[in-house]
Amino acid sequence: MKRLVAVLFVLLGACSTAPQRSLPPVVEGSGSGPLTPGQTVPGDTAPEPLKAPPPAPAATGGAVIALLDRADSYRASGDMSNEAAAIERALRIEPNNARLWSRLAATRLEQGQPRQAEQLALKSNALAAGDKRLQAQNWRLVARARWALDDSAGARAAEKNARALGGS
Amino acid sequence: MPRKKPTTRRRNAKRKRRKSTNYRFPWRKILLTLLVVTVGYVAFLDFQVYRQFEGKRWSLPARVYARPLELYAGLTLEPDQFAAELRALGYKFVATARRPGEVSRNASRFQLISRPFVFWDGGEPSRALRASFSTSHLQTLQDDREGNAVALARLDPLEIGSIHTARQEDRILLKLDEVPDTLVRALIAVEDRGFYAHHGISPRAVGRALLVNVQSGRVVQGGSTLTQQLVKNFFLTNQRSLWRKFNEAIMSLLLERRYAKDEILEAYLNEIYLAQDGQRAIHGFGLGSQFLFQRPLQELSTAQMALLVGMVKGPSYYDPRRHPERARERRDLVLQIMQEQDIISQAEYQKARREGLGLVQAAAGTSKSFPAFLDLVRRQLRRDYDESDLVSEGLRIFTTLDPQVQWALQKSLTERIRPLLGQQPELQGAGLVAHSANGEVLALAGGRQSGFAGFNRALDAQRHVGSLIKPAVYLTALEQSGRYNLAARIDDGPLEFEQSGQLWKPENYDREFHGEVMLYQALASSYNVATARLGLELGVNAVIKTLRRLSVDAPLNPYPSLFLGATDLSPLTVTELYLNFASGGFRVPLRSIREVLDAAGQPLQRYELSVERVIEPGPAYLIHRALQMVIEEGTGRALNGRFSSQLGLAGKTGTTNDLRDSWFAGYDGEKLGVIWMGRDDNQPMGLTGGSGAMQVWAGLYAMAGVVSSQPLKPDSVEWYQVDKTSAGLADSGCDNTVQLPFVEAGSKPPKAPCARGGSLRWLPEWLR
Repeated sequence: MKRLVAVLFVLLGACSTAPQRSLPPVVEGSGSGPLTPGQTVPGDTAPEPLKAPPPAPAATGGAVIALLDRADSYRASGDMSNEAAAIERALRIEPNNARLWSRLAATRLEQGQPRQAEQLALKSNALAAGDKRLQAQNWRLVARARWALDDSAGARAAEKNARALGGS
Repeated sequence: MPRKKPTTRRRNAKRKRRKSTNYRFPWRKILLTLLVVTVGYVAFLDFQVYRQFEGKRWSLPARVYARPLELYAGLTLEPDQFAAELRALGYKFVATARRPGEVSRNASRFQLISRPFVFWDGGEPSRALRASFSTSHLQTLQDDREGNAVALARLDPLEIGSIHTARQEDRILLKLDEVPDTLVRALIAVEDRGFYAHHGISPRAVGRALLVNVQSGRVVQGGSTLTQQLVKNFFLTNQRSLWRKFNEAIMSLLLERRYAKDEILEAYLNEIYLAQDGQRAIHGFGLGSQFLFQRPLQELSTAQMALLVGMVKGPSYYDPRRHPERARERRDLVLQIMQEQDIISQAEYQKARREGLGLVQAAAGTSKSFPAFLDLVRRQLRRDYDESDLVSEGLRIFTTLDPQVQWALQKSLTERIRPLLGQQPELQGAGLVAHSANGEVLALAGGRQSGFAGFNRALDAQRHVGSLIKPAVYLTALEQSGRYNLAARIDDGPLEFEQSGQLWKPENYDREFHGEVMLYQALASSYNVATARLGLELGVNAVIKTLRRLSVDAPLNPYPSLFLGATDLSPLTVTELYLNFASGGFRVPLRSIREVLDAAGQPLQRYELSVERVIEPGPAYLIHRALQMVIEEGTGRALNGRFSSQLGLAGKTGTTNDLRDSWFAGYDGEKLGVIWMGRDDNQPMGLTGGSGAMQVWAGLYAMAGVVSSQPLKPDSVEWYQVDKTSAGLADSGCDNTVQLPFVEAGSKPPKAPCARGGSLRWLPEWLR
């Protein structure tokens, strides 16, 4: 059951960074030609054929879940170093998965690296726009890290952020 | 000295007396002395044999690996790229894969058996896999036997070099049971048929060798036993003398007395000298196999094993790369002996004889393929390890190099430079590609020749960076969100500024002035005058402070010309600078090593991922948008002819005075690439950032694959439409607009004249 919850958790994380929700602002109209002449337009190369936008990438969730399973079993045996290595491996596959960064932050805190835990939680938040629960969780992690760093003012500010998000 | 005389005389008298009366030659004493000396000498030799053979027998160079290819459904990889990687790993393309290291390909479907390998987090077993690709992705990965989906599989990593001293021996240590039985039997049949019967030396072997050689009319066998050959290689110099022959015989007997046949055989298989690779001596059958066939010994065909066994007799005389005919004849002779000794059947013999030599072109793991990247790895290692440990302890270094990206970088650089060499024979180039999220260096080129280990321009060339520095100026402004935003108007009109008594009059590349422009336009079109004016408003110190925060620790020119890039940085430093933008405002230290294992595969050290936020989310998002506008409508817009605008590529061109340097730094959603082109003597070479470096970048990304770059908007930022004519906030009443993000709590432009009262805030399509 716990594993199922973890799996769902990560899948949701993958959803929150799915490309459809973060499409770029589409520039409207074709008249948006440059207002100004460019300086360094190459004149000596023939125009290349247009490269079509790549097809939507297939889901890579299966690989990430397999790696999180490994991370869990390392964790169960108290091997934090390998747990972190497995999460880093997952991050190479899904570098924009906010939940993976959050999980790495939690691991670093347990490894006794509060400075990195704080920064990794901030990184997770940078990728967690719209996910208030994850943001609140990250701010709580930041608070714990800052308490460990004797930064009580920073810790209280982080706790305040967490509460503000938790309430909505 | 008169007193001494009588004594001497008396002694002489005594001696004379003894000689004359009961003198006997001291046979016993001499024999005893001889015995003591001989026993002592043998004991000394025995000790030498013991000391060398026990404990650590060989010092092993550190072995360096590329990143292993991780296979999973959804991986961005073209089928041809996959095939190229398998080929580099020495996988054999066959009709049906049956053994590890074999693969069969049917268009975009692959069936392969991976090799087992020991990584940091344990062993990866050999697996039978079925992989099917679309044109750009790995779609399904299955177990070939069970048919079920495989979530993740890791191939063995490509060995990209070793760290050794000049003239050092190199080898891959194998246990006897890892060596194919066929090879061992062939070796014994050819080199020492009585190996299991003799005690180290074999008079019969000498006689038989003589007989065989006379019969066949040439030297087929030598009279030395395997033990003697090992002793010769192991303990003695190459000098030919009777004394050495004597030592060799004694030590052989001693070795046989102390150690079992299998131990001696195993040492022999690892010790024997087989080839020379520049400064590196190739020893042992394990490395010999990799060196010639780029394949582990266990995967060799009978003919390939016979070739290796044949080379023992004369590694340079039978060098199959230099003397293929001679080597082939020798191989066939070995095959014939194998057939006569019933090691292989007549049918196998006939089949093996028909086989080609099967050599790989370039020797594997020779430090020749990626010397510039290895240079970076070495520099990182030297910070943490002693040079002596690196060359002797057999460390296994797992690096971040991505062969696919590396090949693409080298190819693109060569393709751009080669046609220009006629006019610009001195033209050089360098490049670096790093993973934006974790700072791993994926590829590095130190010059236009990929295999050339010389001046490493990617790390050591210090060059004017030109406009590449400008984002630091604009970021400094955007961080003052109450004062500046992307639509803020700055003046690109004529500017004069007195700098330490001299008049500074910056000019634009097109020698024109553009009047009032929006802040993002000034960056996108790389206007020098507007940038200089903005920089002067901010102050040199503020910009230097920004650069320091963005991990630029090189000395910086403390004058306003800094705003236009009149300061020297290396491509490496530029990469570190732009990683801050590519990663959404986080400083990510560059890393070229992931892990280090010791010779036994035990973890020694891991280089962990670390990040640090150095730009607040709002300004980080804004500067990213500005760098996207460089490609959308600025100096990088030629890229739109090659890549879809929906990819959201971002980057910046850089050109220095009189076209001495051509720079481009650009990133997609996954990786950052920095390219430099120029001449080592800093003379003009006729390329701008756009016509030189950016073309290399485009070729690189077209080959390596592009990932769309769509960072999430922070909560503190909102999108607005801006009227391009008036730089005011626009609504549906305006028809020439651009979408720009603004820090919600910061300054915003006034309403545009064309706005008729509709909603000003702009909602991206997906939110509507």
